[in-house]
Amino acid sequence: GTIQYVIWRCHSVRGYGAPALPAGRITALQAVEFWKRHFAERGVSEPDQSSQYIIAHLLGAKTIESLEPQKLTEFLSREQTEQVWKLCTQRLSRVPVQYVIEEWDFRDLTLKMKPPVFIPRPETEELVDLVLTDLQTRPGLGVEPDTRRTCLEVGCGSGAISLSLLKSLPQLEAVAVDQSQDAVDLTRENAFRLGLQDRLQIHQIDIMKEAVWSVCGLVSAVVSNPPYLFSEDMASLEPEIFRFEDHAALDGGEDGLVVIRQILTLAPQILLNHGRVYLEVDPRHPPLVQRWVEVNVGGLQYVETRHDISGRPRFCILQKEESNKSDKLDLE
Amino acid sequence: MASAHIMAYRRVVNFLPRGQSFLLSQWIYNFPQQHKVISRTTGFCEHTKAQRALHTSAPLTVKLLSVEEIFAKKSLQEYLKKLEMEYSECVQAVSGGVSEEQCSEDELRSKRTKVSLLAPLIQSIRELDTKQKEMVETETLLKDEDPALRELAGIERESCSQDIEDLRQKILHLLIPEEEADLSDLVLEVTAGVGGQEAMLFTAEVFDMYQGFAQHHGWSFDTLEHMTSEIGGLRHASASISGPESYKRMKFEGGVHRVQRVPKTEKQGRMHTSTMTVAVLPQPTEISFTIHTKDLRIETKRASGAGGQHVNTTDSAVRIVHLPTGVVAECQQERSQLKNREKAMKALRAKLYSMKLEEETSRRYNQRKVQIGTRGRSEKIRTYNFPQDRITDHRIGMTVHDVKSFLLGEELLEEMNSSLQEFSNQETLMELLQDSSRDGS
Repeated sequence: GTIQYVIWRCHSVRGYGAPALPAGRITALQAVEFWKRHFAERGVSEPDQSSQYIIAHLLGAKTIESLEPQKLTEFLSREQTEQVWKLCTQRLSRVPVQYVIEEWDFRDLTLKMKPPVFIPRPETEELVDLVLTDLQTRPGLGVEPDTRRTCLEVGCGSGAISLSLLKSLPQLEAVAVDQSQDAVDLTRENAFRLGLQDRLQIHQIDIMKEAVWSVCGLVSAVVSNPPYLFSEDMASLEPEIFRFEDHAALDGGEDGLVVIRQILTLAPQILLNHGRVYLEVDPRHPPLVQRWVEVNVGGLQYVETRHDISGRPRFCILQKEESNKSDKLDLE
Repeated sequence: MASAHIMAYRRVVNFLPRGQSFLLSQWIYNFPQQHKVISRTTGFCEHTKAQRALHTSAPLTVKLLSVEEIFAKKSLQEYLKKLEMEYSECVQAVSGGVSEEQCSEDELRSKRTKVSLLAPLIQSIRELDTKQKEMVETETLLKDEDPALRELAGIERESCSQDIEDLRQKILHLLIPEEEADLSDLVLEVTAGVGGQEAMLFTAEVFDMYQGFAQHHGWSFDTLEHMTSEIGGLRHASASISGPESYKRMKFEGGVHRVQRVPKTEKQGRMHTSTMTVAVLPQPTEISFTIHTKDLRIETKRASGAGGQHVNTTDSAVRIVHLPTGVVAECQQERSQLKNREKAMKALRAKLYSMKLEEETSRRYNQRKVQIGTRGRSEKIRTYNFPQDRITDHRIGMTVHDVKSFLLGEELLEEMNSSLQEFSNQETLMELLQDSSRDGS
């Protein structure tokens, strides 16, 4: 009775920003319920998930479902309650949950998340799947079997793609670049946390302006989740994205292709023969990419378009085909 | 080991007041290493089943026979003789005793396989024969005039009878065919039944009990689905369990579990009876069971709208629908959508596979008098009575006490589970003998 009353009371305190701390003790489940309703009232997106993820995190679990049931019905300590209030208050101002709890999962990795570095999306987990399958089933790639293969990631953000690839392929080495110092720092931090730093080179480079081949030799694969939003779509993004994530990781220019075109132009110079480019793109992009490459880039073949699990054309695969003379001469 | 035996003893005395021997209950404890051998013997047992569970038609008439009682059965002796003859014939054929015109290459190959499958069993049967002869000789020595010799003979007889005992158990163990699914891992599903919130609370306790049971056995326990109720109960949950003999053990847990107690939620102090259902589904390997991608519809929060960089959602739940059957699996256990998809897929595979097995089993057995293979999912198998602090398994009429310890999923559940296994083994053996003598006549 009293607890219900307390919750109801702090619930009614509104208009002063954050709600007041409850006077009495409350259980985790009651805290989840309280913040769920509060988020909903204040128009915060995904109120259920937000409240659950934040509280589960504070109780040492990843999801509320994986928490032991009795923990939910136990009372929170004063410190825990204060923590819940502190983090949930951040969420009230639309800070993405991933930044609030400072971590998120990508495939089987738990990565540190830090604003404004781009938060990896589930589609990119599929991009990694696609690259992994390809690298495992196409062993040759014009390289001797015992040579270590290298892949280049453009726009590494938190390091999700490169680190996943390195984790799954113990023979692989990777070079990750990003134009943002924050991203480069975060990728490095995540690499160290996962013990993958030895096979990963990280460089702060803007491929629009600087020469990427200065930091890597020839590679077997170029992987990228480049900024691909059309500039006009930027304004309609949810506040979580628009206000907190690095626009440079999202805005791909008028047609969303600015960085993509640059990657495709560079690809033939940095890829080994038969090496491939794997891109995550906007569903409107694949035919545009194919046409543009056919007209503008020699030695690069459009292989295929793949769909994400929701059935959208989402990934482009291209392959380098040596045109008789070219690169060997360039190398010498 | 010792404590297991004592427990087994106490237990058998418990439900066999006439004092039958508890020897059969030691099968499991004594021959864990025989596991692999058994699985290979399936080839010569024509009665191998894809799926088997305890009959529940007349639970209280089941009784556990001792090894001695089983060996005293004429049908068993005849069956062993039959196998020995079969073995000798095959050996003769393989070693060239039969001219090539009489025996095709295929027949020879199958006979060779049979020889290698039967060899361990025949070996044990012969050892048993030798030991039994030794026993007769020793017994004559017991009547000798020399007291020193008599004493020696006494020691000899003891070791001999122990050997005979061991060999008999080994033989029985080798006779029990392995089920197709016994070597697989499994997906456990728990679902609250009659009784509202109380049933959901009990469902959560049972789910925890099996998590404890998995831990007790060193199996991995990975929650796939987990749908909670408001007060900390469970509507439905599933978990993937894997480890040695996990399915073989867990398969006896499937069915309706009933709880009788005064619920926490009850104001008037009245006792309630609630139920929950446990399903144990063997987890097929990738190779043994394929699902076509085109038959699946994958639903996620991101399915509508643009997806990709346009959206940042923390709702990574995945729901997969198998279109031809309408079977659905979902997972929101993980923060990674890909992980959720993998887990949902695991649950879906197990569901579809068990449907397939069930279909095959019923096709094979629906002519039989004893119905096998429904896995008793709708059958009330066990009651947890809190006021009397007892758990009763209705299939074998066995009762153990201390509900709280039982729900830890440790020794007490192990004890119940082992008894079920023993009864099941005995039933299988009796069926085998029955079928064999029917074929013979």
